[in-house]
Amino acid sequence: MTGWTLRTKQVPALRVDMRGVSPIALAALARAEVERFRVGYGNSLVALAEFFHVTAGADATLRFAAELARFDRVGWQMDGGLLVVEGNVGDYAGACMRSGEMTVQGSARDLAACEMAGGTMRIDGHVADFAASTLPGSMDGMRGGTLVVKGDAGARFGDRMRRGTALVFGDAGDFLGSRMVAGTIAVGGHCGVHCGYGMRRGSIVFAGATPPIGHTFAPGVAEVAVFWQLLARDLARHGGAFAELPSRRIARWLGDLAAGGKGELILVE
Amino acid sequence: MTTPLQRNGVTIDDSFAEAFAMKATRIVITAHSLQWARHAAVSATGFATSVIACGCEAGIERELGAHETPDGRPGIAVLLFAMSGKELARQVERRVGQCVLTCPTTAVFAGIDSGEALALGKNLRFFGDGWQIAKVIDAKRYWRVPVMDGEFVAQETTGMIKGVGGGNLLLLARDTDSALAAAQGAVAAMKLLRNVIMPFPGGVVRSGSKVGSKYASLGASTNDAFCPSLYGLVAHSELTPETRCVMEIVIDGLTEADVAAAMRVGIAAGVALGAAGGLLRISAGNYGGKLGPFHFHLHQLLES
Repeated sequence: MTGWTLRTKQVPALRVDMRGVSPIALAALARAEVERFRVGYGNSLVALAEFFHVTAGADATLRFAAELARFDRVGWQMDGGLLVVEGNVGDYAGACMRSGEMTVQGSARDLAACEMAGGTMRIDGHVADFAASTLPGSMDGMRGGTLVVKGDAGARFGDRMRRGTALVFGDAGDFLGSRMVAGTIAVGGHCGVHCGYGMRRGSIVFAGATPPIGHTFAPGVAEVAVFWQLLARDLARHGGAFAELPSRRIARWLGDLAAGGKGELILVE
Repeated sequence: MTTPLQRNGVTIDDSFAEAFAMKATRIVITAHSLQWARHAAVSATGFATSVIACGCEAGIERELGAHETPDGRPGIAVLLFAMSGKELARQVERRVGQCVLTCPTTAVFAGIDSGEALALGKNLRFFGDGWQIAKVIDAKRYWRVPVMDGEFVAQETTGMIKGVGGGNLLLLARDTDSALAAAQGAVAAMKLLRNVIMPFPGGVVRSGSKVGSKYASLGASTNDAFCPSLYGLVAHSELTPETRCVMEIVIDGLTEADVAAAMRVGIAAGVALGAAGGLLRISAGNYGGKLGPFHFHLHQLLES
């Protein structure tokens, strides 16, 4: 396994589609082959060397020592290995990821980690709309793995999410966990309106401010101490606003009653 | 049995215990208090002394502190052994369904992560009548089943591995008091070990059996060679006139080494009691070495 470090030569005029560029795919290649690896640019395919200086890395990590705000689908369908971006990324970062570990030291644009199925993705900055959700037109959103957003999230975070764990240390936008099928979302800060809109199952934990609760949610009166300890201990290992969860009491709202009512909003007291 | 050894006046037979491969699993039962966890565990391991008629052999392995359980509550580790994976699955489902699901405040978790997956809450979830919810936390799948005290949480599966059943010690004593003292001491020492259970009442069985019977319908019958009441009556007795009471301890363990370790501390406890305490001999039950693949030679255990 060979790791590579890619440094930007210039900011591209058009958006670059980085699908196919993954730690596993590049690890088996020689340097010249990596430089010739072609990525989408406008309506043509262009060699990576047009955008990056390629050097062998010290470890097996595929490292972008670069600002990738104009690069979409970084980590697309990634299936193993380590990928680090030392800056911002464009749309679809980590989308359809199946395994491995991806770290973005900046922020990500729309649809980050959408339909993610496994592995771990960490974003030190913010994510825009529809993170951990679906590809446009698809029925199921994030379906496994762990997404950690250290900053804020835009609207529709976790839309149609089916499985996995997604954490937002900062604030979340409107329609958090909308149409959620299952899985776990945890928010450390504030949340916009309509959280859990149309959710069928799943858990949304509010470790920070109390969110506005929709009228289609009913208060949960039963004690669920066992489940809460299992979940809280798992979330607590991420630290920050979630570190003290196991020792805190909760209140629950069950819903969305318009969609079966088997989901829950967990408000940490 | 050619050259018996003497330790503290106790004769250690040159014999061996013959044990068999079994399917085994561990489940962890937690509850609001240790008392309720114990209620569930005792109930779930009831009528599980021998696979001859109980379907499985089960027992409490040990108590667990709150820091040792997945949900931070006190718990009990239970081991279950059966002759096949299918029978073990049936027994786990019945016992957890009737004795743990029903017990106030309990939850049940896998006690073994490796091996073949054995249904734990996987089928019991249907008690929820459609209101049950699956939850995957840290790559483990749990079922939350609504019940009248809140919800019953059960991990979907537990691990099933190969275990060893039928390790045993025979404690030949001067009288009932001595035999009970030796057996209780040995069981107490064995209970300090992990990965083993002694499935009979109090860990001790007084009705040791041999394979077969004069009655065709019975697969096992009394071990006449070790019955003091048959001394002088049967054609071959293993006893001497001064041996008036014999107790057996049966040990099931997750590995051959676990069973050996339990037998070793059991022998040591018997030796510590000594002839002065009324224990005359320590022997073991076998079938000539032709049936079970695991042979625990007493002298080798004594030397190791």
